[in-house]
Amino acid sequence: MDFNDTPQEAAFRAEVRDWLSSHANAYRQPLPADITEADFIARARSWQKVKAEAGYAAIRWPRSEGGLDGTPIEEVIFAEEEARYHVPVGPFVTIGTHLAVPTFRVHATTEQVARFTRPTLYGDLLWCQLFSEPAAGSDLAGLRTRAVRDGDDWVINGQKVWTSWAHVADWGILIARTDPGVAKHKGLSYFVVDMKTPGIEVRRIRQISGESEFNEVFLTDVRIPDANRIGAVGEGWKIAMTTLMNERFSVGGESQDEPQAADLAALLQRAGPAGLPYRLRAAQLLAQEQGLKYFRCRQITALSRGDTPGAIAAMGKLVQSNVMQEMSRIALDVTGTAALACAGDDPAISKFQHGYFWSAALRIAGGTDEILRNQIAERVLGLPGDIRVDKDLPFSQLK
Amino acid sequence: MLRDNARRFLSETATFERWRRHLDSGAGLDRALWREVAELGWSGAAVPETFGGLGLGPMELCVLAEELGRVLAPLPFIGTASIAVDILSRSPTPEGNALLERIATGDAVIAVAGLDADQPASKLVLRDGRVDGSLGAVAWLEQADYAIVYAGEPDTPSLLLVDLAGAGVERRTLRLIDPLLPHGSLTLTQAATTVLARGAQARELHARARNLGAVLTAFEQIGAADTACALAVAYVKERHAFGRPVGAYQAVKHKLADMAVKTELARSNCYFGAWALVDGPDELDLAAAAARVSAIDALDYAAQECLHLHGGIGYTWEANCHFYYTRARVLASSLGNAALWGERLLHAATAQR
Repeated sequence: MDFNDTPQEAAFRAEVRDWLSSHANAYRQPLPADITEADFIARARSWQKVKAEAGYAAIRWPRSEGGLDGTPIEEVIFAEEEARYHVPVGPFVTIGTHLAVPTFRVHATTEQVARFTRPTLYGDLLWCQLFSEPAAGSDLAGLRTRAVRDGDDWVINGQKVWTSWAHVADWGILIARTDPGVAKHKGLSYFVVDMKTPGIEVRRIRQISGESEFNEVFLTDVRIPDANRIGAVGEGWKIAMTTLMNERFSVGGESQDEPQAADLAALLQRAGPAGLPYRLRAAQLLAQEQGLKYFRCRQITALSRGDTPGAIAAMGKLVQSNVMQEMSRIALDVTGTAALACAGDDPAISKFQHGYFWSAALRIAGGTDEILRNQIAERVLGLPGDIRVDKDLPFSQLK
Repeated sequence: MLRDNARRFLSETATFERWRRHLDSGAGLDRALWREVAELGWSGAAVPETFGGLGLGPMELCVLAEELGRVLAPLPFIGTASIAVDILSRSPTPEGNALLERIATGDAVIAVAGLDADQPASKLVLRDGRVDGSLGAVAWLEQADYAIVYAGEPDTPSLLLVDLAGAGVERRTLRLIDPLLPHGSLTLTQAATTVLARGAQARELHARARNLGAVLTAFEQIGAADTACALAVAYVKERHAFGRPVGAYQAVKHKLADMAVKTELARSNCYFGAWALVDGPDELDLAAAAARVSAIDALDYAAQECLHLHGGIGYTWEANCHFYYTRARVLASSLGNAALWGERLLHAATAQR
């Protein structure tokens, strides 16, 4: 593989730089403390719109659908260049563009794709992912939210949890049980739901960081027209897997707000002798971070050749969240009590405070460390699967 | 192509049975294997064609290093065929040129010493064209015809070529924890020497050779880590406990997943290192250090847990685990340990900001 831009990629990078230099400055973000969430989201929507108008919101998609007929490598080039500007790029945008719409493009009808693609791309529709439940996390197929057919509608009852950005989302992707009489993976169906539908109640969850990005979502007699079902009845698990595959691939992506190992290296340098005991470990973490970066280059090269990401892609999030957690802990430790004040005005420390909290969530969200290790062991190394005593039992007979 | 051919040849030739026979024979170097490898062109892979080599670049050396690492081949490939060739072809001398021809045919083995330190070994001093001093564990010293050493004062270091058959050269065998990789200590008393490079040029060649060695050794390490992982996977699928293959238990599966992850990260750094050797001189310090640090970690973990996952049998001479366990340690220390390369990595990362 080649880590240099090809002449074509270099030309694309130059074009992107040029475009960003005339468009991105107006969207540079102020410090989080100086901005409300609503303001932040409004800015993110309009930045998304500007990108979509130029085709940069979906580089890989066909021009006819708002893309640029580009390559995955061009998408990475854009993200790298975009990261030089502190513009609002939030998960509430990417749930739609990276998880929902790519799933629709595989499994939905032409009408459904047409209906949701453009508004999502232009930032008019923000999405949330109504998958996890209080008793269905790692064992996601154990979910209990029911969908019962009633004429042209489905009536939904149940509770979702850990639903990021449900309080700002316009629409949600939802999996629910449509047949409790068959095995748990077989009785699920996949829907899209307008979050303003009567019967949906979103309650914010206050997190350990004090922020509230996650929510509980209560669904009481929520009516979803059958036209909003994606794929066949009973095919929900398969479709959800497409979403989760995309999620694991994109959760592993780079973010400008997360602490980097080079930040830690600089911090240790500044700390002088106090930093010495941490140096080897910091170097190992730095090497892991670098390895992950080039691992992604290899994956993207494979993607650009038409391969689909293999199960080893699970390693992206596994490594990223663990590296972030340990780096953050070391950074806060070496800085001592000075790092503990939450209103720190040192941007490097703020990043590590954020990393200290967020990495703990990231090790759970989108597949826990343990689930990801199982995947790698079973699908990459070919080891036997865990015992799943409930696998073939009808859901209604499970305890 | 090269990889497939190498893998096919080595899978037939380079076996644990052969290593055991070789150890029993008491010979330091498997000359027959080294000759076969030379006939395939590997010892002269990087030697310029004018001196009878194949004139290939670092990429091909990386492929060969990984394949040799995969079978734990006890050969002086990195020192002789890679580092020595790199130094000798960048600092032409009549002696060096003649030596390149002999390396290509497999007739000469070169021991390379002193690559780990940033500064020349203080105990090795060049005065009036003669060199005095001593060095600790040097790989392939007794089997080598020449040594390349880094000597002199910190402000004017020199890269020297020493004829080990000459006067004033004393070699002593060391018993190493990996019996397949012979090491020796070297004492030089007014030994004749050819100066390959001095001052800034010596420093530059030394830094290049060190980075080249780091990347190639990292490839050797991921090759070995891959096979250690495969060996462990095969065993835990076969061995049953409590009515299931032990590989079905999460405690075991997760160790193996971590093994695969560490190797995959190191492999990614290795590829970047290979690229930097050819195309990215500005990023070579960072790339080589990252490859080195992560490959040490990957093979250390793979070798250690491969033995552990075999249970008691893994601790015996009959199982093959010990070959990885001791090789991991030797490769982790050669060229400078993880802490040293970690410092270089942190330095390169902060310098780039």
